[in-house]
Amino acid sequence: MTRYFVRSLGAHLRGGRSLYFLTIFGVALGVASVICIQIINRNALAAFRGGIQAVSGDADFSVLGRTPTFPERLYPEVLAEKGVAAAWPIYRIDVAVTDREAFFLDVVGFDFFAPVRMPWKGQRGDISNALAKHGWVAITPQLAEEMGWAVGDAFEVSSGSRRARLVVGALVDFQRVSPVASRKLAVMDIAQAQSLLGRRGQIHQIDIQAAEGTDLPALISRLQARLGPSVQVLTPEQRENLAAGLLSAFRLNLTALSLISLFVGLFLVYSSTQALLVRRRSEFGLLRSLGATRRQVFGLILGEVILLGGLGVALGLPLGYWAAEANVGVVSATLSNVYLLEEIESLQMPLWLYVLAALIGVGGAVAGALFPALDMSRKDTKSLLAVFTLHERVGSMAFPLFVTGTSILLGTGLWFWLFGWDWRPAGFVLGIALLIALPLFTPFLVQRITGWIRVRGFGLGYSLKSLGVRLQTTSFAVSSLAIAVTMLIGITLMIGSFRRTVEVWVNSSVKADIYVSTPSWRGRQSEATLDDDLVSALAAHPGVTAVDRLRKFFVYSGEQRISLAGVDMGLSGGETRFPLLGGETSEVFRKVRDDGAVLIGETLARKAGLGVGDRLSVFGPGGEVKLPIAGVYSDYSPGGGLAALDIRTMNRHFGPGPIHSLALYLEAGQDTERVVDELKARYAGTPLRIRSNRRLRERIFKIFDQTFAVTRLLQAMSLLIAVCGITLTLLILARERISELAVCRAVGAIRQQLFWIFVGKGVGMGLLGLGLGLVGGIALAGILIFVITRAYFGWTIQVYWPWLPVLQQIFTILAAAVLASLYPALRASQTPATELSRDDM
Amino acid sequence: MNSAISFRHVSKIYDSLAGGDRFALRDVSFDIFPGRRVAVVGRSGSGKSTLLHLAAGIDIPTKGEVWIHGSNLAALSDRDRTLLRRNKIGLVFQFFYLLSHLSVRDNVALPELVAGGKSSDFDPRVHELLDRVGLADRAEDPVQSLSGGEMQRIAICRALLRRPRLLLADEPTGNLDDANSRLVMDLMLKLASEEGSTLIYVTHSRELAALADETWRLHSGVLEVP
Repeated sequence: MTRYFVRSLGAHLRGGRSLYFLTIFGVALGVASVICIQIINRNALAAFRGGIQAVSGDADFSVLGRTPTFPERLYPEVLAEKGVAAAWPIYRIDVAVTDREAFFLDVVGFDFFAPVRMPWKGQRGDISNALAKHGWVAITPQLAEEMGWAVGDAFEVSSGSRRARLVVGALVDFQRVSPVASRKLAVMDIAQAQSLLGRRGQIHQIDIQAAEGTDLPALISRLQARLGPSVQVLTPEQRENLAAGLLSAFRLNLTALSLISLFVGLFLVYSSTQALLVRRRSEFGLLRSLGATRRQVFGLILGEVILLGGLGVALGLPLGYWAAEANVGVVSATLSNVYLLEEIESLQMPLWLYVLAALIGVGGAVAGALFPALDMSRKDTKSLLAVFTLHERVGSMAFPLFVTGTSILLGTGLWFWLFGWDWRPAGFVLGIALLIALPLFTPFLVQRITGWIRVRGFGLGYSLKSLGVRLQTTSFAVSSLAIAVTMLIGITLMIGSFRRTVEVWVNSSVKADIYVSTPSWRGRQSEATLDDDLVSALAAHPGVTAVDRLRKFFVYSGEQRISLAGVDMGLSGGETRFPLLGGETSEVFRKVRDDGAVLIGETLARKAGLGVGDRLSVFGPGGEVKLPIAGVYSDYSPGGGLAALDIRTMNRHFGPGPIHSLALYLEAGQDTERVVDELKARYAGTPLRIRSNRRLRERIFKIFDQTFAVTRLLQAMSLLIAVCGITLTLLILARERISELAVCRAVGAIRQQLFWIFVGKGVGMGLLGLGLGLVGGIALAGILIFVITRAYFGWTIQVYWPWLPVLQQIFTILAAAVLASLYPALRASQTPATELSRDDM
Repeated sequence: MNSAISFRHVSKIYDSLAGGDRFALRDVSFDIFPGRRVAVVGRSGSGKSTLLHLAAGIDIPTKGEVWIHGSNLAALSDRDRTLLRRNKIGLVFQFFYLLSHLSVRDNVALPELVAGGKSSDFDPRVHELLDRVGLADRAEDPVQSLSGGEMQRIAICRALLRRPRLLLADEPTGNLDDANSRLVMDLMLKLASEEGSTLIYVTHSRELAALADETWRLHSGVLEVP
């Protein structure tokens, strides 16, 4: 049988080129979408891990603050603990390179006398100057090459509104130590880093090496007890897990979407396998009549499918890598802008991803082919050689399948209502139930709808009517399109509603005319502050009537990292900055202003299970602080969440400190853009980012759109797979229905008419898939908005119907269906009437 | 009098797998005048179906000319041949070839649907034909519910719908039992006469061939006209 397999393979590949190509393409797209997301997901964490490896080198664990920085005086405490072999403090800060838009260096201030083997020792350049030479910094050779810098060159950076001149002292290849480490890592003496760029006496981290034979968990416990709750002692794995936790919802959503693409791909594989089997039915009948066993026929089919799956994997791997590479920029921007983690600079593809690709590609192809292959191998020889009745059987199954689908949906809905509503992943269960139910509905709906149609001419009605004949073939194409449309419309509705909700939120909370921050301010940098004198000068600028100050940094509430924002709660009309979900506004703000209470964002409220009347517990430099919660407001920040309090309350609990950004309110009638230009001219020598209200909003929505860029890619991939399904189905129909075509030709249908009949079939499938997908999409949007988003992000999204994008997508889907029909229509139109003389019809 | 169909030195040659030429028809010439009924008999592979395909314009001869009502098929484009077939020729097949997604009525109406006719114009004709073959009460039934004989009666109605001047039938009773064969053949001959159509039919049955005005024999592509 193996010889027969090999000998017949070439002939089959030549004979069914289009079908084989579509099968391989379907597998390839499914593999590519999963691999693309896995590469991105893995490298998102790898970038963070790379930073830890490159900076912390041989450290067994680290001490990190529960506030942005902690006092240096804890360092001797660490050294004094028994079992600590070595420890070294680290000051780590993001600085903006002057004259380069949004280009940041991750500067690590390090104690060069630390008694450990560090990655940057023994490199080119004069390390001995690190302490003596003002602004000495070691950078990576990659960065030096990119910027055109050499050892001895000076460049300027800014941290907050402070500028500093640094000098390239040495070139250090951190990527030799950690291949995924950032090329933007830079190392300098800790004292210089503190004085030039940050705060003296404060550090971000202490890396620790334990003495040989020390019980690590016991040492960590002792250190934690000794240093108190304002810091935490974490191993590199724990730090990575924290980052993974921060990204979990983002990664989970991407993975789920990529699996939908794979699911749609499986439909394509199933359909094409079915088509290949139908095409070769009599061949299998002949083989069986010549003595081939059922197992041999099954093996023959499976062998071919495994080969096709393998080819799909071979194509899907580079396609997935290319898609990941094309999207790494936007994902990286999301990681740094939204999740405040390291950017992804290089993509790595470990061995296990190849294995995963092979498993999902070949496994998916086998899974898609298993049922039709088993079905074919189980048939007796006589029925294989006879005219097949497969579609009639599916026709009789249409109603039971519909009932099964309905039962799945009702059962899952009931389960969710009774038990699942407070289980976090319940939304995914609902989504999966929906995606399983849709294909089960399809045969019945296709049967019913095509049954209702009265043929009044040789046009669209005829095309639609004829779709009901090959129910199985048609149902698969309609189902895969319906799933792709469900995903497309569901996510479009969700994103559209979310965007509109954020727009409303921004309209009420971004009220000032001008916003001033610094180039190094990316949300996480507590050092990116504005000098007090500068703030006073900006506030006194002609035309400015009021200012709103923001001091913001992260703190820990239990194990949860949250952002704490201090603003002037007494600002006239400033209540709109925090749209409350309930309560009497004036009373809530009075408590925040006068009683030291705090407002918490909805995200934090959901995640921490807190509400009005509870106390928010956070760690400050002096230990735990308990702040009464006066209100909960609409908030769409990612991560742990946000709490807002009066800036005086913040200074009281966390010590006075400089602010991070400033909002300016102008006199009525002032030209905002003109004032922005004036301020930019006046402070040209100061590293400031001055944006008008309009520019800030544009920036917010640019980041918003960036966050969903990969989602769009996955939507497009699913749609492409589904459109391939239409092409495939029409090719199958062009072959299966060759006698119908020949009859039409015999009774006088010209080629053009057959062409349009087939385009009509494509449009018909497009319309059926679209109709079912629209219903599914609305349901999926409901699940995404009301269940998944709330459970994973804690956001309340108002439902809006984004007409324009939805209409655009409907048009795109129908246009794609027409395009998908052109080639099969051309093939069908070439059917000669002489086909009626064929014996095998 | 102009002939309804003429073959002039028509040959149809296919490439043989052995490398040479294989004659399906060899130098066939004949004229059939309007209203005549001709039966063509011959063994399997003698060229009967090829002759009908050439007569219907769904294939073209390798040599020679086929004329239908004054038109040389070889000079027409594929589109024009199709339009000629649509307007002047009716076809009946051994395996009926009814479309399962259409009702009995719509199967009969298919040529008009293809031609873009108005339902109000052709509906009376569809009912008339169904009435004449005794299936008027089955108009809305699915074709799968019909017996073999009934299916072929529907196929004959379809072929006659647009009042073709030439009716071609390729073993119209080949898939029917004896009793049904005679019934269907009588019906076809009667309807063709009533409609004034010239009829050429291929059959294996001497008895059915004897019902025609004349019987021709095909032997290895050579036509023997008595």
